[in-house]
Amino acid sequence: MAVNYNTEPLLKVTGLKQYFKVSHTFTVKAVDDVDFEIYPGETYGLVGESGSGKSTIGRSVIRLYDPTAGSIRFNGMDISGRMKASDQKALRTQMQMIFQDPMASLNPRKKVEDIIGEGLDIHHMCSSGAEKRERVRAILEKVGLAPEHASRYPHQFSGGQRQRVGIARALIMNPKLIIADECISALDVSIQAQVVNLMKDIQEETGTAYLFIAHDLSMVKYISDRIGVLHLGHLLETGTTDEIFAHPVHPYTKSLLSAIPAPNPALEKRRVAMSYDYKTSGIDYNAGTYHLLGGTHYVKCTDQEFAAWK
Amino acid sequence: MADKEKILDIKDLDISFKTTAGVVHAIRGVDIDLFTGETVAIVGESGSGKSVTMKAAMGILASNATVNRGTIQFSYHHADGSPATVDILAQPKKWIRDHINGKRIAMVFQDPMTSLNPTMSIGKQIMEGMIWHFKTPKAEAYAKAVDLLREVGIDDPEKRMKNYPHQLSGGMRQRVVIAIALSCNPDLLICDEPTTALDVTIQAKIIELIRRLQKERGISVIYITHDLGVVAKVADYVNVMYAGKIVEKGTVDEIFYDPRHPYTWGLLSAMPDLDTADERLYTIPGSPPNLLYEKPGDAFAPRNRYALVVDDKAEPPMFKITEDHYVASWLLDPRAPKVEMPAELKARIARMKEEAAKHGGEL
Repeated sequence: MAVNYNTEPLLKVTGLKQYFKVSHTFTVKAVDDVDFEIYPGETYGLVGESGSGKSTIGRSVIRLYDPTAGSIRFNGMDISGRMKASDQKALRTQMQMIFQDPMASLNPRKKVEDIIGEGLDIHHMCSSGAEKRERVRAILEKVGLAPEHASRYPHQFSGGQRQRVGIARALIMNPKLIIADECISALDVSIQAQVVNLMKDIQEETGTAYLFIAHDLSMVKYISDRIGVLHLGHLLETGTTDEIFAHPVHPYTKSLLSAIPAPNPALEKRRVAMSYDYKTSGIDYNAGTYHLLGGTHYVKCTDQEFAAWK
Repeated sequence: MADKEKILDIKDLDISFKTTAGVVHAIRGVDIDLFTGETVAIVGESGSGKSVTMKAAMGILASNATVNRGTIQFSYHHADGSPATVDILAQPKKWIRDHINGKRIAMVFQDPMTSLNPTMSIGKQIMEGMIWHFKTPKAEAYAKAVDLLREVGIDDPEKRMKNYPHQLSGGMRQRVVIAIALSCNPDLLICDEPTTALDVTIQAKIIELIRRLQKERGISVIYITHDLGVVAKVADYVNVMYAGKIVEKGTVDEIFYDPRHPYTWGLLSAMPDLDTADERLYTIPGSPPNLLYEKPGDAFAPRNRYALVVDDKAEPPMFKITEDHYVASWLLDPRAPKVEMPAELKARIARMKEEAAKHGGEL
């Protein structure tokens, strides 16, 4: 997959902040000052532990939340503040989302063809019922389901098949960007590989970009072109997959990478994961700015830290 | 080996569940044995029967389960040191409750939030088992609980004793669950997906904790997991389960460096390691079988690209490869055509070996 990095980025997020006000005195800063971009046809992986703000970023970008501050530019439109009706319509068709739990995100009382075709109905993209059925059938075939599956209900499918339905629902709008929020975490290992292969094939065919949110680092490494590492709402390090995995700079990234258990017993038995504790590390995420390490590899830290880690 | 003591010996276990949809034959002849101080991992996809097997060993099967065949021999020592062996399946529930659950076999479940009582302070929950099983005086139980919390790596244990589960983070909760499991000095610890609900960084810490405690206390551990990375880290022996049967068993090195069953090949190659550069992941086609509908022959045959004609007719027996390594696949029969493991997997195993050799000394 050759991604053209010389074009305009498809999605450009600058200074994104997403705060949730819990009470008068307490505000959760779920996402704090995050910058990243996604190019057309690229897969950008967001990794981090639970509570680091990965899902919040995905949801802010697709405007399920109203961002507190910062700008989000998507395909030439500014989608961070109030949007024009035409921009809103464009956003709702060109950006789609695949959720984690396919059982919870598919309406149990609707047939698969209605679930998949709902977007077409809402945006009046089909002139006749026959055309809609034809498009649903084509998309089912693309995700590896049979045409007769169209008239079934979600509970009649296995987990992997349900996730294929979720992917079909996202794909039918011909999106430029798909936000995949932990879309393989709920599946079995052998089924995960099937879904990941499918996502890769679809990208090759349609050139859609992915924002791939996951905590399984080996899968993220496998599918992503570039990666962003999140911790406590801060994007600590971003770069191409090779840059991050071969030369991690930030201590948090290092500890995260060292924690991945490798399926290699002789090695794994003796290895002890590095530990990292934000409170005792003496690093203040708020004080950090982005420092360039070369290529697209950025790390968020202060000047002194940058000098020490490099 | 003669000097090793067998603690758990599951033989030909066969369990089915009565459901509204029909009878589900969940466990179809499982043999597992475990020696004192060792770790066995049971690997498989959801629905393969890993958890049911271990629930049978704890005597906590659901009420619609029927044990058709088999024995579960558990060996332990009485308080005076005299050895005893019982068949757990033959014991009444009350006896298991008094003598086995929590006392000699303890279990750590997947989700700490659902296995802890939200209305009880964690101190009380740790002391509960000791007071119930051993009638430990309260003051002594309190002191023991504080020690346990310290042992599982919780700072400021006296203060934490008064906390409730919701006041702790996920990793801390799982540490508390482990402390509860260890409170009665069990001989056997069963960990049912202990880290699946946790983040990788915390997962690594919890696994290292369980490993350390196992070494210090000399207890046996059974790991139920689907994560092969975790298996590589903790296990001495591995049992690969598929559709209620063990399809391959062996030492951890044999399973990872010399797998013989096509399902094990699939599992190993479906999970990308950090060096996988292949364009596509190797997948196991199809999805796990529905055990409501039993089919003759090998349950894995429909998903097996190396399936033989005989696979649809008769179930393969366990073929012995080495003293510890057994595989249930007709491919191992001398009459079967010779099938090599996929080239990608071969390359990866070579890479794993190389890497292990490279880092051998310094790690």
